[in-house]
Amino acid sequence: MIKILEPSPFTYFAREKFFPFFLKLEMDSLPNGTATTTTATPAAPTAPAPAPPSSRLVHLAESLKLEHQFLRVPFEHYKKTIRANHRVVEKEVSAVICGVSEAADSDVSNDDAVHHLSSLVSRLQGLKRKLEEGSRTENLQAQRCRARLDHLESADAENLSDWNNMRLKRILVDYMLRMSYYDTAAKLAESSNIQDLVDIDVFQEAKKVIDALQNKEVAPALVWCTDNKSRLKKSKSKFEFQLRLQEFIELVRAENNLRAITYARKYLAPWGATHMKELQRVMATLAFRSNTECTTYKVLFESKQWDFLVDQFKQEFCKLYGMTLEPLLNIYLQAGLSALKTPYCYEDDCTKEDPLSQESFRKLALPLPYSKQHHSKLVCYITKELMDTENPPQVLPNGYVYSAKALKEMAKKNNDKITCPRTGLVCNYSELVKAYIS
Amino acid sequence: MELDIIKDAFDRISKKQKLSSSKSQEVIDLVGLEVEQALGKFQSAHDPTSPVDQKSVLTDLKLKLNAIGPLHQLEGSQKELNLNLSKYQKLLEKFLNPDISKAYRNVDFDFHIVNQIVAVHFYRQGLFDLGDSLLNEAGEPEATALKSQFLDLHQIIEAVRVRNLEPALKWACTNREKLKQNSSNVELKLHRLQFVEILQKGTRTDALNYARAYLTPFASLHMEEIQKLMACLLWAGRLDRSPYHEMTSPTHWDNLTEELTQEFCSLLGQSYVSPLSVAIAAGVEGLPTLLKLSNVMSAKKQEWLAMKQLPVPVELGKEFQFHSIFVCPVSRDQGSEENPPMLMPCLHVLCKQSIMKLSKSSTRTFKCPYCPAEVSFAQCRQLYF
Repeated sequence: MIKILEPSPFTYFAREKFFPFFLKLEMDSLPNGTATTTTATPAAPTAPAPAPPSSRLVHLAESLKLEHQFLRVPFEHYKKTIRANHRVVEKEVSAVICGVSEAADSDVSNDDAVHHLSSLVSRLQGLKRKLEEGSRTENLQAQRCRARLDHLESADAENLSDWNNMRLKRILVDYMLRMSYYDTAAKLAESSNIQDLVDIDVFQEAKKVIDALQNKEVAPALVWCTDNKSRLKKSKSKFEFQLRLQEFIELVRAENNLRAITYARKYLAPWGATHMKELQRVMATLAFRSNTECTTYKVLFESKQWDFLVDQFKQEFCKLYGMTLEPLLNIYLQAGLSALKTPYCYEDDCTKEDPLSQESFRKLALPLPYSKQHHSKLVCYITKELMDTENPPQVLPNGYVYSAKALKEMAKKNNDKITCPRTGLVCNYSELVKAYIS
Repeated sequence: MELDIIKDAFDRISKKQKLSSSKSQEVIDLVGLEVEQALGKFQSAHDPTSPVDQKSVLTDLKLKLNAIGPLHQLEGSQKELNLNLSKYQKLLEKFLNPDISKAYRNVDFDFHIVNQIVAVHFYRQGLFDLGDSLLNEAGEPEATALKSQFLDLHQIIEAVRVRNLEPALKWACTNREKLKQNSSNVELKLHRLQFVEILQKGTRTDALNYARAYLTPFASLHMEEIQKLMACLLWAGRLDRSPYHEMTSPTHWDNLTEELTQEFCSLLGQSYVSPLSVAIAAGVEGLPTLLKLSNVMSAKKQEWLAMKQLPVPVELGKEFQFHSIFVCPVSRDQGSEENPPMLMPCLHVLCKQSIMKLSKSSTRTFKCPYCPAEVSFAQCRQLYF
C-alpha cells in the first residue's frame, strides 16, 4: 500500500485501475487547492498569518534538546570541584590519623608529643578554612548550573526572538573561546550580561596550558594531565605520551643524549606496551639527530608538532567537559547552510535576504550538500511571500507566475491591468488563471 | 523537554553536596576536638608532681579516632553524592542530545571567513568595539568598507531615535536616484514626519515654508498624500485633536527606522536581517532532522559524508524560503531549465519530463494524473516562478 501511495507515472495507472478511490480522494482535495505545497509535514506552517504557536513550540522543544553542552559543562566543572575538595579533606584527615598512630606507636618525649599534637591541630584548622572556601566555590558553581536550567526554562513563545538572540551570542562566545579570542569573548559576555551562560572560567584553565604549549613548554600541560589522570585514563587518552615524546625530541634537538635516554627510560618506557611503534620511531631520532633529511624523522622536529599538541589538548579538554569537539558556531552554521543551500542560491539574481547571496557564505557552503525538497515551495517574485492555499499562485498568459495577493493589489491600482515585472507584458486581470501545484 | 525532572535531580545533588560539606566539617571538628583534648591533658599535666603517661594518652587518642572512623564517615556521604552526580549525567544524556556534532561533515571551515562574518555581524548591530576587538585579536585585516557604512547607518538611526531627521534626510537626498529605482518613497516619509513635527512644535508659517521647499517636488507622484498633509495645516499646534491625529502616532517613527534600515542595507547590497542570524536560526531548526538522519545512516557514514544532496528534506519555517522550488508531484524531480514545470490545460502542473513520459514523447494525448482531463503535449505551457 505504501508503495502505491508514492505517485509515479507507473504506479499511478495501476492505482487508477485497482484503487479508484485514491483518485476520488485526490480529485476532491486538489481543485480547491488543499493539497498544495505545505500540508505535508507539521513542521511547515500552512497558514499565511504568523506561524501557529504550536509548531513554534515544537521547534523550540526540539532546539532545547540541542543544549546538552550548555548544561553539561558547568556540571562537569561543579563535579570536578566537589571531587577535588573531597580529596583534600580525605587526604588531610587520614594524614592526621596516621600522625596520631605513628606517635602512639613510637617513643616520643612529652614535649615532642605536645609539639606534634599542636601541629596536627593547626593542620586541621587550615583544612577547615580550605573546606569553607571550597564549599563557597561549590555553591557558586551550583548556582551557575541552576542559572542555566532556569534560562532553558525561560524560553517560551513570547520572548522567543530575544531568547534566540541570546543563543546566538552564547554560540559566538563559545566560538571565540575555542579560537582563543578571550578578550572579545569576555567583552561580549559582559556587554550582554550573560557571564553565567557562557564558560569563560572553564576556558581560563585551558588558556594557561595552550599559552604554555605555544611557548613550547609542556609543564602546565603535564600538570593538567596529572590533575585529570583518572578520566584521561578512562578515555584511553595518549595525550600525556605525546607530551613526553615532544619533551624527548627537545632533548635530542639539544643533543642532550644521555639525559634523553634517562628520560625515555623513566617516562616513555611505561607506554611501550601500548604504543611501541611511536616509541620506536622517536627513539630512532637519537641516531638521526635534528638536522636529518629523512622525512620520517624530520617531521618530528618541525615546530608544527607543537601546533598539533595544542589541537590535541583542545580535543582532550573538550571531551573532558562534555563539549562538542567543533565550535557550536560551525555546527549550527553547517546545518543551516545545508538546509538553505539550493542551486538557485548561486545565481546572480539571488535575493539579498538569503545568506547564500553573500560571497563569504557561498564559500563556506561549497563543500556542503544541497537541501532536498519533497514538495514545491513557491515564493512570489513580487512580494517574496510564500504562495500557498491562502495566497495561491496565478499564471499570466506568458507563463509567469505571481501570488494572487500581489496581482490583486496591482489590478486594483491600475484599472485591472497587469504588467509582468520581468517581461513587461501587459494583460487584463481576467486573463489570469490559477495553477494547482501539489 | 523534561526540564522539571532534570531540575529535581539537580536539587537533590545540591542538597547532597551541602550535606556532604557539613559532614566533612563535622568530622574535622570531631577529630580536632579529640586531638585538642589530648593536647589539653598534656598541658594541664605540666606540673611535674603527676607526670602523664604520654603513651597511654596517645594510644587513647588513637583508639578514639578509630572509633569515630572519620574516613568511613566521609566516604559514606560522598558515596551518596556520587550516586546522584552520575544519575544527573545520565539524565542529561537521556533527555538532551549528548552529541550534536554527529551530523557534522568534517570539512574545514575557513576560519578567516568565519571571523569576517562574525565581525560584520557585530558592525551591523552597532557593536563596533566588539567587531574591532575580534579582528584585532584574530589578526585579521580590517573590514573598513562595510564598517564605515554601518557606522553611517547607526549614526542616522541614533539621530532618528532622538527625533533628529537631518542625517537621514541628507542620506536620502544623496541617494535619491537609487531609492527611486527601488521604488522606495522613504524620502517623502522623512519629509512628512519632519513636517508633522514642525506642525506640532513650530508655527504654521514654518510648516508652510517647509512644505513649499521640500514637499512640492513629490506632488506629481504623491498628490493624495500631500493634500492630506496640507489639510493638516488647519490644525497646526493641535494636530493630536484633529481628524489627522493618527499622523502624530509614534509608531510612524518606529516604522520609519525599520524602513530606513531596510533601504540602507538594500543599497549596500546587504540583507535587512543579519545573514549570520538567519543561517544560525536555520541551523537550529534544521539540526534535529539532520541528527536523526545521521543516526539512521550511522552505518553508512562514508556515504553520508559524500552526498551531494541531502537524502531527506529539512523543513524550515517560511522565513527561510528565499527561492521558488518546483517539485514535480509525479517524478519528485526538482524543476530545472532542462526540465521546467508545465501547466496543463486543466491547470495542474507537472514537470516536462513527466509529461513527455505520459504522452509517449508527445505523440499521444494522455489523462491528467490528477483529474479526468485529456491532455496533449501541445496544450501545455512552461511556467516561470
